[in-house]
Amino acid sequence: MGYRVGVDIGGTFADFCVLDAETGKLETLKVLTTPAEPGAEVVRGIGELERRFGVAASAIEYFTHGTTVGINAVIQRRGIKLALMVTRNFVDVLELARLKMPDPYHLYSARPQPLVTRDRVIEIDERMLADGTIELPISEDSARAALSQAREMGAEGIVISLLHCYRNPTHEHQLKAWLNQWAPELPVFCSADVWPIIREYERTTTAVIHSYVQPRVSNYLGSLQAALAKAGVTAPAMVTKSNGGVMTAELGKTRCVQMLLSGTAAGVIGAGFVARQAGRDHVLSLDIGGTSADLAVVIEGRPSYGVGETVGEFPIFIPTVAVTSIGEGGGSIAKVDGFGRLVVGPESAGSTPGPACYGRGGIRPTVTDAVAACGLIGHGELGYGAVSVDRDAARTAVQTLAEPMGMTVEQAAEGVIRICVAGMFKEVSKLMSRQGLDPRDFTLLAFGGAGPMLGCFLARELGVRHTLVPTTPGVLSALGGLIADVKNDFIRTGYFELAPAAAERIKTGYHELAQEARRWIREEQGFEDEPTLLPSADLRYRGQSFEIEVPLTLETVESGDLAGIAAAFHAEHERLYGHADPKAAIEVINLRMVVVGKAAQPNLPAYPEVTGTPPARKIQVWLDGGFVEAALYDRADLKHGHSFQTPCVIQQADSTTCVPAGFVGSVDRNHNLILTLQGDA
Amino acid sequence: MPIDPVTLQVLHSHAQAAADSMAYTLFRTAHSTFVKETEDFTSGLTTPDGMTFASPRDLGATWFIGLDYANAIALVNDYKPGDVCITNDPYSGFVCTHSPDLHMWRPIFWGDELVAFAVGHIHNTDVGGAVPASLSRALTEVHQEGIRIPPAKLYKEGVLDETLLHVMLTNVRMPDQNWGDLKAQVASMATGERKVHEMIRRFGLETFREGVRELLNQGERQARAIISEIPDGDYFFADYLDEDAPGGVPVRLALNLQIRGDEAILDFTGSDPQLQSSLNVPTGGAERHILLMVGYNYCLYTLDPTIPLNGGIVRPARCVIPEGTVLNPQFPAAVGMRSLTCVRLQGVVMGAFQAALPHRLPAGPSGGGAMMNVKTVDDSSGRLIMASIDPITGGAGGSAVGDGTDGSGANNAFLKNTPVEINEIEVPIRILRYGLVPDSGGPGLHRGGLATCLEFKVFTPNTVVTARNRDRTRFAAWGAAGGKPGMTSEFWRNQHDPHAVNLGNTDVVTLDPGDVIRVTSAGAAGWGDAKTRAPEAVAFDVAQGKVSVEAAARDYGVSIVNGALDLDETERLRAAMAPAKNEPFSYNQNRDDFEAVWNMRNYAVLTELLSRLPVHWRYFVKRQVFERIENTPPEARLGDGSEVRAAFEAVVNGLPQIRATLRAQAAE
Repeated sequence: MGYRVGVDIGGTFADFCVLDAETGKLETLKVLTTPAEPGAEVVRGIGELERRFGVAASAIEYFTHGTTVGINAVIQRRGIKLALMVTRNFVDVLELARLKMPDPYHLYSARPQPLVTRDRVIEIDERMLADGTIELPISEDSARAALSQAREMGAEGIVISLLHCYRNPTHEHQLKAWLNQWAPELPVFCSADVWPIIREYERTTTAVIHSYVQPRVSNYLGSLQAALAKAGVTAPAMVTKSNGGVMTAELGKTRCVQMLLSGTAAGVIGAGFVARQAGRDHVLSLDIGGTSADLAVVIEGRPSYGVGETVGEFPIFIPTVAVTSIGEGGGSIAKVDGFGRLVVGPESAGSTPGPACYGRGGIRPTVTDAVAACGLIGHGELGYGAVSVDRDAARTAVQTLAEPMGMTVEQAAEGVIRICVAGMFKEVSKLMSRQGLDPRDFTLLAFGGAGPMLGCFLARELGVRHTLVPTTPGVLSALGGLIADVKNDFIRTGYFELAPAAAERIKTGYHELAQEARRWIREEQGFEDEPTLLPSADLRYRGQSFEIEVPLTLETVESGDLAGIAAAFHAEHERLYGHADPKAAIEVINLRMVVVGKAAQPNLPAYPEVTGTPPARKIQVWLDGGFVEAALYDRADLKHGHSFQTPCVIQQADSTTCVPAGFVGSVDRNHNLILTLQGDA
Repeated sequence: MPIDPVTLQVLHSHAQAAADSMAYTLFRTAHSTFVKETEDFTSGLTTPDGMTFASPRDLGATWFIGLDYANAIALVNDYKPGDVCITNDPYSGFVCTHSPDLHMWRPIFWGDELVAFAVGHIHNTDVGGAVPASLSRALTEVHQEGIRIPPAKLYKEGVLDETLLHVMLTNVRMPDQNWGDLKAQVASMATGERKVHEMIRRFGLETFREGVRELLNQGERQARAIISEIPDGDYFFADYLDEDAPGGVPVRLALNLQIRGDEAILDFTGSDPQLQSSLNVPTGGAERHILLMVGYNYCLYTLDPTIPLNGGIVRPARCVIPEGTVLNPQFPAAVGMRSLTCVRLQGVVMGAFQAALPHRLPAGPSGGGAMMNVKTVDDSSGRLIMASIDPITGGAGGSAVGDGTDGSGANNAFLKNTPVEINEIEVPIRILRYGLVPDSGGPGLHRGGLATCLEFKVFTPNTVVTARNRDRTRFAAWGAAGGKPGMTSEFWRNQHDPHAVNLGNTDVVTLDPGDVIRVTSAGAAGWGDAKTRAPEAVAFDVAQGKVSVEAAARDYGVSIVNGALDLDETERLRAAMAPAKNEPFSYNQNRDDFEAVWNMRNYAVLTELLSRLPVHWRYFVKRQVFERIENTPPEARLGDGSEVRAAFEAVVNGLPQIRATLRAQAAE
């Protein structure tokens, strides 16, 4: 029987997760990444899988992976040199963006320098109107002139973004056809093809980011495919997507904008999967690594989706699993400012030089050092032996804070943890208020290298009752990839009133979207089972300037059931905003369709219940203002049915779980740790 | 017991989370586009005596850091749990500063003790009065600006006062929207109360109280530290609004900033008498009125962005604002359009701080922007369309750290534009151009940020375009440290037509089918001598289309030939250029011309003479004096105040009742 393999390639490690499709047994692996030779780590990892777990390359029936090649190209500004062709008199679409500055209190606050500078924005004579009619036909002469301008400036690729192309893309397509004919060597990208949404800045920036990274990502995927074939993997490679789904790597070569935020999205999907298996349907997934702390909301297995998620300094506007940054992670640097305040972040030691206690060149105190100085980590090896924790180095680093604060090392270390956690508390509170949610209704699912280390502290601050630490907290993105569905999004701009005259338009619109969706999943993905179609609509009351996405049923849209659509909108509006106006006119902004090819949903192994107490060592740790004795557990010793006292520390290869007093620990049938806050939260 | 520094930091995060949560609750549940798009609202928490200690950072208006609710709170008696109070009267306590802003506060109790207030406001689209949206520069009395509700309980112990609500909603044009937004505000108040209760449960009442006190103290300490780095001295700055009413004379806003150790005195003496238009800024003479402190807050935050944004930071400052002036008008002066004056005032404060720290603060920002609205009929549906289409803003001034941002920035950083595609689909207009205006940024070692431009065509008779807050067609953004002023703004009807109309500062225009409007903002000013700007930086700007080849040669002495830098010619051009004048500020020609007549001494005499008059006479006499000075032959103008004194006496001589008043004063 076959194996499903998920791989998530991050900054330091490539995480592997392999699932025995028959038994549901999971194995995990981390290997160091090889940035100089992308793909090599995958081949090495596949070799390791065979050596350690007897998983032969030929027995891999499903292979999926997520990569940071694209996002790194944006962050490091190492994409291709682009020219941008726009409608004449509208060259500042990227310069002006949406005007608002990131920090409006600061007189020097500035927008990031666009990826295409103004000298490389070229005007085209053409004009499309809002209803899709052509006011000024596209001029071949101006296209020729634009091409020679682009060539003169040494453009390596061309993005076309013309006004109202979301409604009628013929001008964009005509221009592309000419350019392909005249300059077959230049890649050309149309904004309407990348993601055809109304709002020119949002559509253009999305298309620009896509085009900026596409050649690099495509090359990478090509070499990965070759490497996999050489390693004997016959299953077609899949890649994870920002929408929490997967697609073939082959399609990824031309759809790379959909992969940019796939790593965080796959983590949320993995978290949702583990939570569902554990019978928990309201989950906050908390992913803390060395440089970031991210939170996502998953309700009944469905993550929240957002647009405008950021890639480096730029927002992109394709449907993306909504993940909110709530801090800078374990590498956040602590310092004492000029006013005697202990401050944590936003500076980060990242993975290089990293926390002082990792002994890789870092000397400034980080959150991880504070945890080490309290004696909470460093009782065994971490990261599968790739890092060891030097608690003396941590203490030395934290000492630099303790002195000016007039505190002991432990007091200062605890201060760093409390301030870091309070910062995360603030961001989580804001996110909850933004969505009208109460954190106390959720289980906190802590993962990533540092999630279990800080999760209980955050849960306590938020009053969250249950914190869940999965069996493999370090590789949840890899797990998420291998259980993710094949999934794609389709959109059509509407902008009409929800009235009887529109019934035909709605029926036809959804009919076409459904056809496109079915074609995509059958022909481009080779998915043979019956796909699930999930229609939705972006709707608003007339006069509102923002719309909300309303999930609909296929039956409602195919029958053009206007009353049904309206009722769904009123209900959703009421749910989100606390009020609805059933008498008001409704406008249809976009029609949407999501197509899902369900992946086989394995069951995590259910372990038999045991009795007795797990073996523990006693260690001294500093928690809540003093030295206390804590139990030190080995994760492998904690079995279904065990319960354990706190304070305690649980160590495993990819993460350490720290639990202050006031929690009760238990282990569920999937061997997740469940840490329950006692008393009245 | 003093609170330990770590707990204080933790409490700070909780307080910030509370204020942001209140703002998100309001934003999420509000009805009006005004809230959703322009974010003209705020929320926060105050001490029991009304000082704001937590304000949202993520969204909402940026003007209300450290708003003091004390005067409004004092006008309501006997607070009980569940009470919610409101006011929108600019003359009841000076917390509210124009009628569309509905302020709300809710006492928060812990047991029997009043521990805090949840506070906030929303700018309502309309509160009745003479004109739709309640705002017009032409209004002369606050009574024309809509219904005014003095501080009163809207909810008494949780029970809605239906009568009060009914009176209010009866007097406005869009009652459903106001009621919807009001409910969102009430929800935000409830969130604030819940969050404060959570904080007290978490920290204990004593620590909460002490922590709040200490947060404000911390703000104050940090503000004092920043101010003490500024050299002691007096720093004067003045700027003008183009007109004191439609077609009027300039409005002068003057500030003598006095830095003394770790304290700052902002003396606004020399600012104009109160106006017969709605450009007055109601402050009640409060020493730290929030509308006077916005520029100060921006400057302090820019000097040290780690400063906590709370009411403590205004404590080291004190304002002097004589009564009966544009910055301290007497009832019932109209105040609706105070935002135009406020934006210029922020620039004046920035100018005075710039004079004190020329290397640490920027040159003049573009200074406000027109809020463009279109009222027309959609011919395809017959429906009346009223839409806000875009704010037309300009950039930030150049500074020692670099060029100013283009298109928006500095004190114009919080507004969002509307996409061209959205405007065209929602409003039956055709947008012909939207983008930056080349050469509009003031030249300098570091260039001023560019202006933006919008051109559009209308298709329906009687289409009304309003451009609220238009200004700077006459006086430009001021250059600093040798930098040059920015370009002035423009407003044209059919600019390229034989019948072109220069609309200047007009803010309402009725159009015919086919008419084309072109509106630009002002550009921001440059910093440092343009002659010293790296030729490569000028060449880059030329390549970017932000500076023309002609302007590069004229303003920077940089020669660009066929896209390439000609260094020899540049050297020749620069050798022939005069160095920048060694003056802290530079102004455009219009201002230099105006100040050649209305210089410091003439203004000093005018200010002194007008201050002797009863307030309701001052504006009238000022206009008369201006007219006489205008008609004084140039050779009779000595610029020493004598011509102003002569003009004043001539005016007063024709006014027997005023003569009597002045005689009585002299006799005292």
